[in-house]
This record gives sequence, C-alpha cells and structure tokens, in this order.
Amino acid sequence: MKKIVTVFLSLLMLSSLVLSGCGKSDDTGSNKNSEGGSQSEKKVKIRIMGYNKEETRRSYLDYLKEKLPNVDIEFQFVDLKSFENMLRTQLAAGEGPDIFETSGSGAVYANAGYVEDLTDASFTSKYNDTGLMRYQSKVYTIPLQSWFEGIWYNKDIFEKYGLTPPKTWDEWMDIHDKLRQEGIKPQAMGAKSWEPMMKQSMGMLLNEFYSKPENKDFDTAFSDGTKAVSGQWNDAVTKWTETIQKGNITKDMLGVDYDQAQDEFATGKAAMWESGPWAAEALKQKNPNLNMGMFPIPGLTAGTGWLIGGPGSAFAVNKQSKHKDVAMQIMELTATQEAQQALIKDNFGSSFLKGVEVELPSEYADSAAAFKEGHVYAPWITWPFGAIAEDYGKALQEVLTGAKKVDEALQVLDNKAEQQRKSLKGN
Amino acid sequence: MTRKREFAFLLLIVPALLFYFIFYLYPVISTFAHSFTDWSLLQRSIHFIGLDNYRQLFNDDVVLTGIKNSIVYAVIMTIVQNALAVPLAVALDKNLRSKNVLRMVFFAPAVLSPLVVGFLWSYIMSSLDYGPLNQMLSHLGLGSVNWLGEPKLALYSVILTQVWQWTGWAMVIYLANLQGISKELFEAAHIDGANGWKTFWNITLPLLVPSITINTVLSMIGGLKVFDIIFSMTSGGPGHATESIVTVLLQRAFTDSQLGYASALGVLFSLFVMVVTLLQLRLMKRWEVS
Repeated sequence: MKKIVTVFLSLLMLSSLVLSGCGKSDDTGSNKNSEGGSQSEKKVKIRIMGYNKEETRRSYLDYLKEKLPNVDIEFQFVDLKSFENMLRTQLAAGEGPDIFETSGSGAVYANAGYVEDLTDASFTSKYNDTGLMRYQSKVYTIPLQSWFEGIWYNKDIFEKYGLTPPKTWDEWMDIHDKLRQEGIKPQAMGAKSWEPMMKQSMGMLLNEFYSKPENKDFDTAFSDGTKAVSGQWNDAVTKWTETIQKGNITKDMLGVDYDQAQDEFATGKAAMWESGPWAAEALKQKNPNLNMGMFPIPGLTAGTGWLIGGPGSAFAVNKQSKHKDVAMQIMELTATQEAQQALIKDNFGSSFLKGVEVELPSEYADSAAAFKEGHVYAPWITWPFGAIAEDYGKALQEVLTGAKKVDEALQVLDNKAEQQRKSLKGN
Repeated sequence: MTRKREFAFLLLIVPALLFYFIFYLYPVISTFAHSFTDWSLLQRSIHFIGLDNYRQLFNDDVVLTGIKNSIVYAVIMTIVQNALAVPLAVALDKNLRSKNVLRMVFFAPAVLSPLVVGFLWSYIMSSLDYGPLNQMLSHLGLGSVNWLGEPKLALYSVILTQVWQWTGWAMVIYLANLQGISKELFEAAHIDGANGWKTFWNITLPLLVPSITINTVLSMIGGLKVFDIIFSMTSGGPGHATESIVTVLLQRAFTDSQLGYASALGVLFSLFVMVVTLLQLRLMKRWEVS
C-alpha cells in the first residue's frame, strides 16, 4: 500500500514538474502610459495589447492620453512570436486586454465569441470599405494604417553597379547574379524565422496566381474548404524556388535571425532585404547614411509587381471587457484625422479612414505604381484560421534544406487548413 | 489534549494542501480529463471524443520528431555533461592554487537565464561573417559551419550550449560528494600501491554513485522537458529539425489552439518522463548496491 501511495505521489510530483509553467505573466514589456499618483487611482484602466512595438504607436498613444485624461492606458507589447499564444490564453481565461491588435477580420476570435461586433458602431462607416474585412458579413476589426512589405535595396550599391529596381522576375534574378559577381551579397534574409521565405513565395503567387481573374475568389474557396492550394499553387511556388536553386536564398540563412539580417543590410554587407516601413527607423539608426528604397516583388512579365500587405493590422474590442464603453470611445477617437496621422507618423502606411491624405515618402517612390494599382495583398490574413502560414513557412524551410518538395510543402498547408476548419466547426 | 494538538497540527497543513490541490493536483486532473475532449480556443463548446487525440498523436509527424529529438537531447546531454563533470570535479578537488577561481568560472554559466544563453550562443554560432566560432574555425583553416541552419547539426549545436551551461552545475554536486569522502580511503589505497586510475575507478567512482544518480536523473528530466533554449536559439527549426516535445506541445496548444490534443500530448509526456525516471532510478539503485 505504502508503495502504491509513494508511486502515486511521485507520479503527481513528476506530472506537476512537467506540466507546470503556464501562468499569468505581465513582464512582456508592458508600459503604463499613466501619470501615477493618487489621481490615477480614479482613472479607468484600459489595456491595449499589440504586436507592433510601442514606438510605432507613441504619437497615437500621446494623442489618446491628451483626449482622454481620465483614462489610464496601458500599452502592452508582445512579440509576434508569442502574441497569439498569450492573447488566446488570456481571452480563454477571461483576462484578455480591452483592445487588442489583430490581423484581418479577426475571424478566429469572432468565431469563438471573444470580440465585439462593430458592424453598426458609429465609427465603422467612417472607414473605406476596402479596409473593413468582414467575417460572416460582420465587421469585428477596425483597420489601422495599411501594412506592406517589399524589397528594401541599397541605392548606392545599385547605382555603383549600374542597377535599377527590377520590372520582371528574370531581371531580379540577374541583379542577384551581377551583385554576386561583384562580390556583394545580393540579399540578406533572416530565414531562421518562417516568415521571409513564406512572404517571398507569396510575392510570386500574387504576381502569377492571385492577379488572374479566375483566382479572384480563391481565398474564400480555400477558407471554406472547396479549394485546396495543392494543384493550384504548385507552378508559381515551383517557379519561385528558382531563387533557391540560384543560391540567392541559402541554407546559411536558416541560422540567421531578423535582427542579424537587418544588420547585414544596414551596414551595406547585403544589397537587398525584405521587410516593411517599421524597419526604416531602425535601419536609419544603425546607419544614418543608408540611402535606401523599396521595390515590389516582380512577376514573370513586366509590370508594377506586388507588395505583401493589406489592411493587416487592426484593432478589436474584447467582448468581455469591463470598460467596453471606454474601449469604444477609444475606437471612436481612432477614427479621426488626428489619430490616423499620429499612427502614420510613427509607422508609415496609408489610412483607410475616409478623407485622410497621405504623402508617400521618397523611399517608397519605386513602389508608387504598385500602390496605385492596388497591388498590395496578403492571402493568409483573409483566412479564418490560426497561424497556419507558419506551418507553410516551416515547410518552405524544409524545401530549402531539401527535406521536402514543393508539393509536400503545399500539402502541409492543406492538411493544416483542414484541421483548423474542423476545429472551427467544433468536430 | 494530544488529539487537540494533532488537530491543530493538521490545520496547519491545510494551507499547503490547498495550495498543492489548486496549483498542482487540479491542473493535472484537469489536463487528464481534457485530453479526452476536442477543447479548442477556436470554439467555446467542448465535446468528449474518447481516445481520438491519443490515436492522432501517433500519426503526427511533428510530434514524433519532437519525441525523438527530446530523447536524443536528454540522453546525449546526460552522458556528455556527467562524463565531463566527474573528471572536472576530481581535478578541482585537488589542491590547485586556482581551484576557487576555476570552480567559479565553470559554475558561472549555470546562473545565466537560458534565454540569455540562447541569444549569446546564437551570436557566437552565427553563420554570418561576424560569428566568432566560425571566424575561429576559418582562421584555423577549417572553414565555416552552419551551426543552427543545418538541420542535421542544429540539435547538436543546441546540446553543445547546454553542456557548456550545465556541466559546472553537475560538477558542484560531485565536488560536494567528493569532499564528503574520507581521505583515509585514498591514503590506504596509496599505501597499497594503487595508482591514480585504480584509485579513481575503485574508490572515487563507486563513492560518487549517489551524486551520479542525482545528476543523471535531473539531467534526464531537464533534457526531456527542454524548451527555452530551443525557443530562443532555433524556434524548433529549421523546419521542425529541433522541435522538442514541449515546443510541439505549446505549438499545438496555443498556435493551433488545440488544447484537448495538447493535453493528450502532455499526459503522454508525463507518463513517459515518469517511466524513464523510475527505470533510471531502479538502474542506479542497483548500481549503488553493487
């Protein structure tokens, strides 16, 4: 008997050792935007959780603080690496933030009943319809400034070797070759993360698949399971792997992270790097003399190319928020010219609020035509699933190492999507 | 009076028992119960699905990779760490002038957070031209190595960092044990003509068995539970090459939102760790007795 008790207790202790570790933690870079003192005790506390750093929201937070002196706004930054994990856990525990950043329509959260329906809110109609992403015909998220990514290039290096931003995929491949011949690393990539390869392959898909009229509704069909990526994406993604075969993306890059790749580009060791406007400030800080521009990912035929992006970053209001009225007040304030300009000031992007004019900074001049054509899109943010693009990105890492073929990588995405569809339906 | 006193003592245990129940026992039972459900963060209703989650586990390639990697990690880590720590402890038990400094140097990495160690070694092992390890190898004419980007090597690179971090810790446990061994035994062996190797093999090592048991069991449990260093160095990549059971568990639970499925993996993992530990303890006890 004693032995059984001992074994049982050991089992419990071991299980607790193994399973312990989950819990609430507030040490994720949160920063109170409060003035402190006894006055703050009377203030209503609102927590905004985002995956864009506080410096990209500073002017906007200052604006809110000025307009809402009786609200104590806590901005909590959580790295994208663990953002969804933390947010979903907090929401499930009923301890979610009052307002949180999300991408796309917020379908995952709407499906679980975590977010407020904003379809009929007074501020929703102030936005252009192109920025309002719907889930089952309802609006659950309000767009912040548009999000986009392209290829940053070092203008000085390009000029030195007589290169100009490419208009076609072949031209882009030739630029890589030329730079390599000159002893310059053509492209830096932090492929330790699953994101960059996933996004660059999407660049080819946008040019060669999504731009075709017959594929206009592909993402809707993929979301509801009537179409799969296998058999549809193969040609474009296989063509994209040419950049791997040519040695533009190498296995070495799998050991390089985002910051290291950024350093390589900032210091002129690499001529190109794929990222977005949020990196501009850091690049200039690392190298104030860096003369850079951004071009869109080109397609097989000459054209404007495509940028990865869309009305990605958006705010949603937690349905369980204790101060929903104040949260809605913040959303109302966000739908003003001043708030939108404050957001754009710290992180460039166009606004979806009607009547907001944005001047394109010179760094993005090479992308102006793509903007004009509306060639900015990111398929995965329209899918009502969790982070399945991560699985696709990891599968592409395996394509790079030779462990998987393109067909298998696409199958990974299909399988994952099917699994998520089942979870959404609850079976 | 005695009964009253006993009752008072029992009352004193209540807070600890409550704490244990709420924070340990309840989560364990709850995890076990949820492992038979389709609990997901994507929906609010939960359904009983029997053993489906457990069946699915054995068809999940990433889970199987995680299990394989965790075992490889734990076994290599346990063997290498202890194989280095024992001679290191024996050497630093001698009357060296620099022994205190050396003990501190070898123990120092153990006080660092695994995340700090992860970022530090990511820099040291960087495949870029400023990666110090590759710079050193290049100077020696050995060329550079893709430490964290090569799928077949990445896991071993991570193990290397952990051996560096935890060997000093194991060494301290062995040192404490060594200092408890009577010097007379070594003197007697010396008088009997035993050389250094024989003394180590017949006296030092057998008397170190209790601390070998502690160290190997702790290394094994720690190795099977590995998460933070992998998260900070490779995030389970490239692809899924360095995925461990815990990284997969967290991915399934929070990235994929399949909490029921992840609970099943957690239960299976706990049972696995328990069986491995019990077997290891039995084996070590037998060695101690012999």
